[in-house]
Amino acid sequence: MAIEQLKTEEFMVNMGPQHPSTHGVCKLVIKMDGEQIKSIQPHVGFLHRSIEKIAENRTYAQFVPYTDRIDYCASMNANHAYVTAVEKMAGIQVPERAEYLRVMMAELNRIASHLVWIATFAIDLGAVTPFLYAFRERELILDLFEMTCGQRLTYNYMCIGGVNWDIPQGFEPKLREFLKIFPQKVNEYEYLLTNNPIFLYRTKGIGVLDMDTAFAYSVSGPSIRGSGLKWDIRKAEPYSIYNKFDFDVPVGHTGDVWDRYKVRLNEMRESTKIVQQAIEGLPGGDTKVKVPMTWKPPEGEVFSRIEAPRGEMAYHIISDGTPKPYRIKIRTASYCNLQVLPVIAVNHLIADLVAIFGSLDVILPEVDR
Amino acid sequence: MLELNVIFEAVHRWLEGILPQGLVTLISALGTGGIVLAFLSILALFLVWWERKVSAHMQQRLGPMRTGWHGVLQTIADGVKLVQKEDLIPSTADRPVYFWAPVICFVAAFMAYLVIPFGRGLIVQDLNIGILYIIAITTFTVVSLLMAGWGSNNKWALLGGMRSAAQIVSYEVPLTLSILGAVMLAETLSMVGIVQSQAGGFWNWLIFRQPIGFIVYYIAATAEANRTPFDIPEAEQELVAGFNVEYSGMKFAMFFLAEFVNMFTISAIAVTLFFGGWNAPHPIFNFVPSWIWFMGKSLVSVFILMWFRWTYPRIRVDQLMGFAWKFLLPLAFLNIILTGLGVLIFRN
Amino acid sequence: MAGNIIKEITDGIYNLILGLAVTFKHLFKHAITLQYPTERWEMPERSRGTIVLLSDPETGRLNCTACLLCSKACPVAAISIERIKNPDTKKFEPQSFNIDTTICCYCGLCEQACNFTAIKLTGKYEFSASDKSKLLYDMGFLQEIGRDVKYEKREKTAAKKKAVAKAETGEDVGGAPVADAKAESSPGSGEAKKED
Repeated sequence: MAIEQLKTEEFMVNMGPQHPSTHGVCKLVIKMDGEQIKSIQPHVGFLHRSIEKIAENRTYAQFVPYTDRIDYCASMNANHAYVTAVEKMAGIQVPERAEYLRVMMAELNRIASHLVWIATFAIDLGAVTPFLYAFRERELILDLFEMTCGQRLTYNYMCIGGVNWDIPQGFEPKLREFLKIFPQKVNEYEYLLTNNPIFLYRTKGIGVLDMDTAFAYSVSGPSIRGSGLKWDIRKAEPYSIYNKFDFDVPVGHTGDVWDRYKVRLNEMRESTKIVQQAIEGLPGGDTKVKVPMTWKPPEGEVFSRIEAPRGEMAYHIISDGTPKPYRIKIRTASYCNLQVLPVIAVNHLIADLVAIFGSLDVILPEVDR
Repeated sequence: MLELNVIFEAVHRWLEGILPQGLVTLISALGTGGIVLAFLSILALFLVWWERKVSAHMQQRLGPMRTGWHGVLQTIADGVKLVQKEDLIPSTADRPVYFWAPVICFVAAFMAYLVIPFGRGLIVQDLNIGILYIIAITTFTVVSLLMAGWGSNNKWALLGGMRSAAQIVSYEVPLTLSILGAVMLAETLSMVGIVQSQAGGFWNWLIFRQPIGFIVYYIAATAEANRTPFDIPEAEQELVAGFNVEYSGMKFAMFFLAEFVNMFTISAIAVTLFFGGWNAPHPIFNFVPSWIWFMGKSLVSVFILMWFRWTYPRIRVDQLMGFAWKFLLPLAFLNIILTGLGVLIFRN
Repeated sequence: MAGNIIKEITDGIYNLILGLAVTFKHLFKHAITLQYPTERWEMPERSRGTIVLLSDPETGRLNCTACLLCSKACPVAAISIERIKNPDTKKFEPQSFNIDTTICCYCGLCEQACNFTAIKLTGKYEFSASDKSKLLYDMGFLQEIGRDVKYEKREKTAAKKKAVAKAETGEDVGGAPVADAKAESSPGSGEAKKED
């Protein structure tokens, strides 16, 4: 056989939109040499619902349910980002109890979101059981949410001027019970994953995201904290009442998949601390200030950002004095975090691509909006 | 005291009394084949159900509950469903290759049972090269998986097929070498001979003289059977479903059943080689029929394989190769050297 | 060097066994799932499931006064109401009240907007249908599924709210938000503590 006939060539593979590990509908066009990845081209937009344009045709209050759908794993945080932006623009003072409830719910949702992440990340690596364990604990949080606001996924809990519902009877003992058992459950995930040699082989030194690249692609949230930057908006620019709580910002060292995993795992512990402090210090009083249905904010412009579980979520709202916003721009963390994937996953194997993609915690509705 | 071979021998004698010799041979050949096939089919159905139950309870779920007592008939229902499914063949598939791949996989998985001793006298054919035959016949799996990957004309399937070829061929080496140690001690290649050499009590089992051999065998065999943590040819999260991504209906069912039969095969071999086969742990337990001991030990081993699967993540393909060549192979060689030295010192 | 390797191997084996121990321990725990159609979760009081129209338990008439506030509050315009004036009482009544549940996002803004406790999101579920047109609920159906829903009429609170709002808008600069009377269902932490 002539040697020319034996030459190898690169080939293209469509990973997604229907692929189990793209966490939704992301299409990665991969050029591969055998199992090695030569280049990646993410194609986004399969879930584009033009939420920012819809916002221009809704009143400020009506847009809150839409924010739930930007990031369905962390709706509370998405709510929080939007209502703080609007309140900042209009100068609304929120009752203290409402702020406490907001922080409590946002942190519980951060735990729930990280639990979904740890679950899907474990399953990306082939470990199925942590998936169900993590969802078991997430269920407890969702039960608390359902008790409070009636929904398990799209909460519409926070409204402009406060929160829609006060916590019901029986919420507090349930929450305390959860806070008591949760740290043990996190240890359980650690036993299954953290030091498991197979897990270490799959994550240590894989998909290293160095600080310069992370800055260049404006990566945020646990993904950049994994690279060692101690940057958390809850600490750096405290919004709401985060300055009243005592918590740490876990950081990694090398920026590999394992570090990002560890950062999220520790963040769950820190969030548990915040929720504990919030429930201890929960003041009495009103839960919202009355904002009329056809409420008109003053003319103006605002930029406000919060720390969502996936990174910075920022709202840029321009108001022209009518009940509907003139323009809303949402900055979501997943979109920026996804951009860095082609850079850090090149020259890895396809199995690593799955791990790296999972470790960035990209959620596609947030990318496409 | 129900030894099953008594029944089979009685039937055989009865047939000899009423039929000519040639016909008896034919009938007994077909009959044994049929019995083994039926037994394995039922066993595979049971194992599928059992795996679902084990995984469910490890994950605090219930698993199948509706069909029959705790869902025991679930696999049969699934099988009926799979038979009814449309048999899709991709338009660009290499049809003969695509068609024969599951058949070869299925047949290879079942052929191994020719020499597996289920109990005292309960073996289809006691070949004097039994263990060698099993190693040879189970390797056919790699051909079938490669055929499936190639014939589907799908890039994911091809990647899966290539992975399985690399994996199974690599792990074949430590697997065979790990068995050698046991064979050296038993001084026979016949499966029955190996079992008989371990008779008398659990202290005679080869596991105590071949711990390294057993570990190497078990890891390599798990890889051979494509079980997690070594299930990289399928790897749902990476290759969608690997080599069987294009298969549907009965063809998929054949791959699926073959996987479970293979799982039992490696457990049966492990029991035969290292855990005394059908022998009771102590002569005082000899009143329990030998086939119960064999099945019990094998099912414990199957459970451990399931346990691994529902605990561990999947290893990466290049690490898998490195593990085979850099760790298991030297270990297997070390085992052979130690065994050889042991034989030299203690036998003389 | 050799010590490191041995430590790595023993650590690895230890952690592998640790993982096995966790899954084995769970093998004997009770399942946390339910067998859905025969066993069910109890839906919490505030569940936001299917929308119903509430009617007066005594007269059997709808509470709805066709004020259209809910349809205005709805972000997806799922509610469409046609109203007529009752010649006897000179009050508006809904003539048709349709909710398109295929686009409803179950946000509950309609319930919050309603001053007459006429519309409510309940914990009812299992209204799936194989035909999309069956998911377009009309007034009769909405009333029917709302018959057994227990509720507290809050006309009084609504009236009070209005009074408070009126009293305070006089002092405040127009449109600025005003402190609300304490949210209606707020037993909250205080009472929960007492229970214990």
